[in-house]
Amino acid sequence: MAKITVDGTVIEVPDGSMLLPALLDHGVQVPHYCFHPKLSIDGSCRMCLVKVEGMPKLTISCNTPVRDGMVVDSRGPEVAKARQGVLELLLVNHPLDCPICDQAGECYLQDYAFEYGTREARTQEPRRKLLKRVDIGPRVVLDQERCILCRRCVRFCREISETAELAVFNMGDRSVIDTFPGEALTNDYSICTADICPVGALLSKDFHHKMRVWFIDEMESICPSCANGCNIKIGTARREIQRLLPRRNDAVNETWMCDYGRLRYGFVNDDRVRVPTVGRGTPAITATWDDALDEAARRLGALARTDGRALAAIVSPHLTNEELFVYGQLVAGGLRTAQRDAAIPLGPADDYLIKAEKAANGRGARDLGLAARSGELDLAAIRAGVETGTIRGLLVTGTDVWELWGERADIFERLETLVVVAANAHPLLGFADVVLPGLTFAEKNGTFTNHAGRVQRIRRALDPGEQPSDGDIFLALGRRLGMEIPPGPFEPAAVLREIVASVPAYRDVTWDAVGGLGVPTIEA
Amino acid sequence: MASRVVTVERPPRLRAVDTMGPLLIVRGLLVTARHFFRNLFAFMRGRRTIATILYPEEKMAWSPAMRGMPVLVQMENGKERCVACGLCEWACPVDCITIYPAETADEIERYPEIFDIDMSRCMFCGFCEEACPEEAIVMSQRVAIATTEWRGSLWHKRDLLVPVHELDPRLRYIRRGYDRPDVPTPAQTAERLEKR
Ligand code: SF4
Ligand code: SF4
Ligand code: SF4
Ligand code: SF4
Ligand code: FES
Repeated sequence: MAKITVDGTVIEVPDGSMLLPALLDHGVQVPHYCFHPKLSIDGSCRMCLVKVEGMPKLTISCNTPVRDGMVVDSRGPEVAKARQGVLELLLVNHPLDCPICDQAGECYLQDYAFEYGTREARTQEPRRKLLKRVDIGPRVVLDQERCILCRRCVRFCREISETAELAVFNMGDRSVIDTFPGEALTNDYSICTADICPVGALLSKDFHHKMRVWFIDEMESICPSCANGCNIKIGTARREIQRLLPRRNDAVNETWMCDYGRLRYGFVNDDRVRVPTVGRGTPAITATWDDALDEAARRLGALARTDGRALAAIVSPHLTNEELFVYGQLVAGGLRTAQRDAAIPLGPADDYLIKAEKAANGRGARDLGLAARSGELDLAAIRAGVETGTIRGLLVTGTDVWELWGERADIFERLETLVVVAANAHPLLGFADVVLPGLTFAEKNGTFTNHAGRVQRIRRALDPGEQPSDGDIFLALGRRLGMEIPPGPFEPAAVLREIVASVPAYRDVTWDAVGGLGVPTIEA
Repeated sequence: MASRVVTVERPPRLRAVDTMGPLLIVRGLLVTARHFFRNLFAFMRGRRTIATILYPEEKMAWSPAMRGMPVLVQMENGKERCVACGLCEWACPVDCITIYPAETADEIERYPEIFDIDMSRCMFCGFCEEACPEEAIVMSQRVAIATTEWRGSLWHKRDLLVPVHELDPRLRYIRRGYDRPDVPTPAQTAERLEKR
């Protein structure tokens, strides 16, 4: 560790680190554009200038290694003057686009201009005219006039996505960012360039002109779209998800997320089922929650009493660990069957973040014993059971089983009893005797376990109102099927304590410890 | 709590004349008659002596400082000047503005697809006008906005648009706040560049 003095205070920083990250870690606010903790050093913006005693000129802190005994002035008048100068030069050609720029409100140029700028333009010459609304890729749009040439996007495409679609063309004050001729910004992580762009030059098409950022509430959560479990922030406004943003977690996703996961949130806003229905055929008859639960319990209970092998349960890997645990108890104690398996959708994977399992909690289902182990009846065997008529009733959570079984209506038509807990409208619901509306990841509290066994917290970003959570549905069904369940609502934190007590791999997990960046489970 | 003495003026003791009812009626009628004949003669000679105006046939000329209902400026091409930046929506203390932005093919790429003001909540504070970077929402002189229908107080964009020339006095008034003689106009700049 090296000891350095910053503005009169002595702080300890790791040897060999650069000055800027060391200062930022200690809460010293140094303005910067081109520096990014996960990208190589560029030193192109000159915004991070500080004064180091013994150096003849101001120096950029992002590319100055710390030395023991260094004396740094991070905010004196000389430094402030230099920052003002850098800003003035950046603003010489910057368009007055703030009212129509999606970045406004979270723009580094606005923030620093507000803090260090002169508030007045001393130039009268017309500003540089460049291309606006350049369609550089299917998910990202570029505005060359707003670019401050920090080259973060260029480095991202070279170092992280390793696709190198972007580059700086021309020189000096003619420099512009663009894609190579004939190429487009198509990589699977392309919207990350819009995240790291400190200004509004690169923007996500999905979020383009959609909502001002100051109306957005953010909640820390986990991406539900694959087993990697990238840490995200859910941005909500007007009772809808407006966007998902990645959140830094060095153990999982650094500061990135894939485009697929980022854009897959529409199911929370649209096509939801909100009221329970009873009876097959379209349109099914809507029912009160009590009636629907009674009917589901009556049908499932009748089969459970006659023959334990006439029933099977399909487990959704989108449920939280706590819901899965309660669901497991319901299947064993209420349905009195051991026939259950998780229906996990699969898709393309890469060697970075994107995992083949397109659901967040497949690992949780396996850890909690809700996926068929080898030798047990698995999803294919359950399907065969339905087709031969030995399995006459199904309790299904999620709708993925429809696709996994080849979207075949005849399988589900054979069933005597089909009870589905699902959040979205789906063809499968047309075959259900009882549909119980579920909640999505954005509306509940709980934990997911990612592919590597890290337990991470999801948080309620949208208020589902009166609608019960999936956990409440399982408890209510269990009570109606004669299980001994004390009254009271579903409490994820309490259920997690039960999981910790009964699943050895989870013994280090606590609700509070999981809260921030998650806790790894212990490999058996 | 600190106490404070307030001296109030009580009505004086009644004089004898004040208690003679019928006489007071005559005195009052004399006042009425005096005003009536004064106004009548003045009216016949074509000079006005009263402050009362014949509303609604006659309207007062208000100063441009007067703040009526906020309206949207409609440019000569018929479109709104608003770019849906959302600042008025944010500034409004009673949250009565709702904007849904969208993209257009015009040079300025953003416009309000929906711009609603709930006039039953607006309190004519003018913060929206002050927040607007585009001079796109201004306080008009429109005040007769009562409605018999509950929904009628929700004003949509097409009803809020007012041609820019009608709003000229107000626009000139609000520009006074930031008129800067020391900053050259675009024309002056062009001229200067021409000379170089
Ligand atoms: S587009 Fe954005 S990230 Fe890329 S160089 Fe310009 S300002 Fe930097
Ligand atoms: S890699 Fe997976 S977890 Fe990460 S953002 Fe993409 S879909 Fe979500
Ligand atoms: S005048 Fe005040 S209350 Fe009315 S819309 Fe504007 S900001 Fe809101
Ligand atoms: S502040 Fe002006 S430009 Fe912005 S949304 Fe309101 S009226 Fe439109
Ligand atoms: S952050 Fe140091 S030069 Fe850009």
